[in-house]
Amino acid sequence: MSTEFRLPELGENIEKGDLLKVLVSVGDEISKDQPVIELETEKATLEVPSSVGGKVESVNVKAGEQVKVGQVILTVTDGDQAGARPATETKSRKTKASTNGTEPEAGSLEPETGGRPSALTTAAETSRSAEEPLAAPGGDAEFRLPELGENIEKGDLLKVLVAVGDLIRKEQPVVELETEKATLEVPSSVAGRVKEIHVKAGEKVKVGQLILTVEGDAAAGPAKAGADAAHSSQSAASSAPAQPSAEAGEKPASPLSATTVPEVPSAERAGRGGTVTVPPIPAEEVPRALAAEPAIKTLVPAAPSVRRMARELGVDIAQVTGTGPAGRISAEDVKSHVRGLSQGAGTRAAGATMPMPDFTRWGAVEREPMRAVRRSTAARMAHAWTTIPHVTQHDKADITQLEQFRKQYSTKAEARGAKPTVTAFALKVAASALKLFPKFAASIDPAREEILYKKYFHIGVAVDTDRGLLVPVIRDVDRKNILQLSIELAEAAEKARTRKLAPEDMEGGVFTITNLGGIGGTAFTPIVNWPEVAILGMSRSSLQPVYIDNQFQPRLMLPLSLSYDHRLIDGADAARFLRWVAEALEQLLLVSFEG
Amino acid sequence: MSEQATTTQLAVIGGGPGGYASAFLAADLGMKVALVDGEVNPGGICLYRGCIPSKALLHAARVLSEAKEAAHFGIEFQQPKIDVNRLRAWKDEVIGKLTGGLGQISKQRKVEYIRGKASLLDAKTISIVSDGSAERRVNFEHAILATGSFPAMLPGLPQSPRIIDSTGALDLADVPRTMLVVGGGYIGLELGTVYAALGTQVEVVEMLDGLLPGADRDLVAPLAKRIEKIFHKVLLNTKVAEMKEGKSGIQVKFEGAADGAEHVYERVLVSVGRKPKSGIEGLEKTRVEKDARGFIKINPQRRTAEPTIYAIGDVAGEPMLAHKASHEGRTAVEAIHGKKVAFEPRAIPAVVFTDPEVAWCGLTETQAAQENRPVKVARFPWGASGRATTLDRNDGVTKLVIDPESERVLGVGITGIGAGDLIAEGVLAVEMAALASDVALTIHPHPTLSETLMEAAEVFYGQATDIYRPRKS
Repeated sequence: MSTEFRLPELGENIEKGDLLKVLVSVGDEISKDQPVIELETEKATLEVPSSVGGKVESVNVKAGEQVKVGQVILTVTDGDQAGARPATETKSRKTKASTNGTEPEAGSLEPETGGRPSALTTAAETSRSAEEPLAAPGGDAEFRLPELGENIEKGDLLKVLVAVGDLIRKEQPVVELETEKATLEVPSSVAGRVKEIHVKAGEKVKVGQLILTVEGDAAAGPAKAGADAAHSSQSAASSAPAQPSAEAGEKPASPLSATTVPEVPSAERAGRGGTVTVPPIPAEEVPRALAAEPAIKTLVPAAPSVRRMARELGVDIAQVTGTGPAGRISAEDVKSHVRGLSQGAGTRAAGATMPMPDFTRWGAVEREPMRAVRRSTAARMAHAWTTIPHVTQHDKADITQLEQFRKQYSTKAEARGAKPTVTAFALKVAASALKLFPKFAASIDPAREEILYKKYFHIGVAVDTDRGLLVPVIRDVDRKNILQLSIELAEAAEKARTRKLAPEDMEGGVFTITNLGGIGGTAFTPIVNWPEVAILGMSRSSLQPVYIDNQFQPRLMLPLSLSYDHRLIDGADAARFLRWVAEALEQLLLVSFEG
Repeated sequence: MSEQATTTQLAVIGGGPGGYASAFLAADLGMKVALVDGEVNPGGICLYRGCIPSKALLHAARVLSEAKEAAHFGIEFQQPKIDVNRLRAWKDEVIGKLTGGLGQISKQRKVEYIRGKASLLDAKTISIVSDGSAERRVNFEHAILATGSFPAMLPGLPQSPRIIDSTGALDLADVPRTMLVVGGGYIGLELGTVYAALGTQVEVVEMLDGLLPGADRDLVAPLAKRIEKIFHKVLLNTKVAEMKEGKSGIQVKFEGAADGAEHVYERVLVSVGRKPKSGIEGLEKTRVEKDARGFIKINPQRRTAEPTIYAIGDVAGEPMLAHKASHEGRTAVEAIHGKKVAFEPRAIPAVVFTDPEVAWCGLTETQAAQENRPVKVARFPWGASGRATTLDRNDGVTKLVIDPESERVLGVGITGIGAGDLIAEGVLAVEMAALASDVALTIHPHPTLSETLMEAAEVFYGQATDIYRPRKS
């Protein structure tokens, strides 16, 4: 009777193999355990022994075929089939172990004489000679631009600090690079003689880009390495700080001298004309101390997935307010935190989500929540700044006469309960100027592509308070005299400082005046108070010599800075507007004459 | 000119659970990966001479003790016959099966597995030597050091085959008549349990005043009680003063509670901890730094001071646990892959696979006391668990360490059979910042040991079904 020999199980997860060779042919007498086919599996090539003995009646497979576990390989007659099946598996394993030393199955385990895996034994356990290849002369080494730190991927190459033929050592600055963050000198990670320089000044270079090819790297012979160190301290003296003498004089006999060149002392790194040589820094700081185990105390209640999401968005999870049970932070909480940030920073959400560096790396920090006024200022300013193309026009007004007038009538004014300030005069002048130049009291409606002219002259005045910047609006400035304006201005400022301003008190302005003269300064660039299109800044007036009537005369000059929305107002308009304001301040008659 | 160097994106040095998890994830992310280890297949200490073989042997021990204890409910077996050779072979089969599987997965993922010993030539190159083949070099963009740890030895011990470490104990050369386990930590207790079950008279000596130093005492109590039964002696507050090789065994002199007489042991198992295997050749050619205890210093991304080199697992700090290593490895690979990630677990479970098992995660009571942090502890004794009773194993406890204000679960501790599996739910609760009510309101299957977690949470509210323990107001 005939018996089948089927491909036995070959071990874990191996279900098939490529048949390389059939080792027997029809008519052969085979014995049990005799290899009959050679099979290539994912794991190894192996000879598969027969589990049956007898005369081969048929061979059911041929070389090149793929065969599966359980497939009939051959049939034999007079088969000795006693116990054939059960024996199959173990037999095949045994054979594998003996035919293929690297077969990772049972029996192939390394003798565990040493106990530990030999790959990673400590230096002490291995003879130094195993390391000798180090001392063999090395080939060319490449120096590529290393990672420079958080998100820096490229930079402008300012200067190549070495030349072909120079001997350089590890840690020696080789290029000067300007990145978004800083100008830095990039130290080489290889040592040897510069064979080729692959970049030149002015180019943009990316992290990973080939910078230099160096001959005889760290692996260079000991004598040479020692010489290198000595050389470089001389030849590179002009372009690099001198090496500490101890290093230069290091015994060249030490086989490791080239590669164990000590870390450049920090004092050395800090040298050299302002720029600082920094080693490439890791994406996040390498702590001096071992990363601590989680201190439950400081942990924030949020699921791991939420914590990871926050990290990806650059959000400090500790700053997020959780709305879940007992303050648990959900993914939604993180998202709304980001939205809050982006509202705070204007319309450019992207800006808000830029990751903040960890300032504690450089020193102590303190956190304070942003107060409402600050948040709103931040939001409004960011919005104005990102929407309005700002230009600032500067001018000066001669207010000698105005000041004389102001002083002259101050007693009279006080009798009426008013204390006229330069701002009050400027208010009046501005209202007239706005009438003459209506664009300056307009707004842009981008949605409808229209310009909206306002026929009223409410003007905001910036007030500095302990809570921050507030802008109360003085109504109908054009219809009020300067005394009235002075009184209203004083009241508005008082209300602002005592927190009594209602929201409506700060609405409806068409133009804004901001006076920093009380503090000082000669000019500044105020930000337009959107949706207005212009803002008048006033700095401190000072006595200046002005050439009048063939001589220099001391005149009180008031610096004016007019920022405007260039989408609507052109430079010439602005110059004309501001000149008119200056002239009106010089000659108040103009207000009633033209305004 | 030296031999041709090959180039890889990621070189992982060390094929343990940290190393192969790193290599596999990196390959899944499309990186070209080389994995270097001295063994035939990946697996590392964990698979070859750590977690896996010890658990295989502990399973055998458990079968033996269960068979014996079945007498309690009327089932008596004859004295078991133990074929140590077969037991050893089975253990090796387990190892072979698992490591072989890893080798295969490694191939399927096209990870280049290089067998040999790696040393660093610089921050971008390793050299690998193995017996009988030429040195080869691999240039890497990034490397992960996952070299693991090795058993610490007491200084000044005589050289003797009778003095073994965990590796020797797992080799299971024979079953000695007597054995002294030096160190009452988890390794000593696990291996002591194995040998005790196989028939060895085991004694354990511990310097401190309790077994499993660091674990909460109420968790250790049920284990200590049983250990006292199955071990011949438990010597606490005792130090080994001297060890000498004698004719019939190792002569040991003690110092402390068990002062005086000399004892002789056929075998001494030294299990006094593990040390990081950070003596990697060529490490000094990089900027990688080590701390005073030899651990490689790393940042939250597991990056060393050398930007191209990361370190994970035992070599990079405690706790020295396989599951911590593989999580760290995945973090490191994701960081290398450009993801903004950090190793920031809230809880790393610790499991002692003795009988009963002891497991905990997150904040322990001991830690809370040290930090002066107010916590409420809700305990559910397994005496009240139906499932534990049906298993005839009421020696257990499940407890939750809870923040009294937020009622958040900060830590979980379990002792009892299967605690190592049960703790996973506790880890999830802590990671998810679950409240005690979340655990109490989650329906747990009946009758199971997992109910003890739910009931512990109910105890917190004074409303546990199976135990009457009203909440103190």
